[in-house]
Amino acid sequence: MKCQEAIIYISGKLDGELTPEQERQLDLHLQTCAVCRKEYDDLLKLKEVTSNMRFTDLPDRYWAGYWNDIYNRLERGLGWIFLSIGAIILLGFGAWELFDKFLLETSMPMLLRFGVGVGIIGVIILLVSILRERLFARKHERYEEVER
Amino acid sequence: MEIEDNILVEECLGGNLRKFQVLVERYKKPMYFYALGMVGNSDDAYDLSQEAFIKAYRSLKRYDSRFQFKSWLFTILSNLCKNALRSAGIRKQYMVSDKALETAPADMESNPESAYQAQQVKQAVWDALATLDSEAREIIILKHFQDMPYKEIAEVLGIPVGSVMSRLHYARLKLKKALAGVIE
Repeated sequence: MKCQEAIIYISGKLDGELTPEQERQLDLHLQTCAVCRKEYDDLLKLKEVTSNMRFTDLPDRYWAGYWNDIYNRLERGLGWIFLSIGAIILLGFGAWELFDKFLLETSMPMLLRFGVGVGIIGVIILLVSILRERLFARKHERYEEVER
Repeated sequence: MEIEDNILVEECLGGNLRKFQVLVERYKKPMYFYALGMVGNSDDAYDLSQEAFIKAYRSLKRYDSRFQFKSWLFTILSNLCKNALRSAGIRKQYMVSDKALETAPADMESNPESAYQAQQVKQAVWDALATLDSEAREIIILKHFQDMPYKEIAEVLGIPVGSVMSRLHYARLKLKKALAGVIE
């Protein structure tokens, strides 16, 4: 076994992930190569040090409310979906009424109808632009959730 | 006897939200600890771990039962942590304090000198973790602090099992370098 291969296998040996044959070959190499032996001893020490450590737990009161927070947020998500559907229906209805009862209403001053119409077009352009920007950013997200 | 994750997932898909609670209770602490190691402060780690569960529940239909549910959860959390680290939204990156790490009681119960030494090493390890790039830190946390087998790590990171060994080795070398003078 060459040092280049042995170096990688050292981690496998430390973690008990080598096959018996790989371990036998590595052990043979470690008996003859002082450099790799030193690397193995150093990394073994590193593993021993970190194995004595663990992340500090949170006080129980944090864990007591953990599920409730998640449940509430999931429930709120459903609320947002219904709210959004309702808002779309209402906005659609409003837009139709505006178009039918105001913009097409010849009794209204032409200038007023023109001003409102241009304003609405401006709002639509802005909304589409923001929406497109957000969709683009999402599409090019490097760490977007991996699906398997 | 503990009900298997995949069975619980199927029941969740059938509309039983309470079964998802069982999964949350099962993995909330490992998820929190992983996030803590990644982002370095408990407030963000707590929020990110919850966010990962919410995302998991909403995409449960896309979960492939050929993989372990735990690995899938960690993959979601891993991506959330990386996004958080990249964004300016993270409150504080690594805490200056070493309070997020603790040593085994045996180390602290020995004589004051050993306890002091253990405290110094703990601080050094915490500081060293902060200096690692997120890729190296991630694999160190998964192996050293979550004690995951290579197969699970491979699933979480989406890399072949063979690559886990080499990536872990180079991450360990970086950690060793960052701890130069502390570990002899």
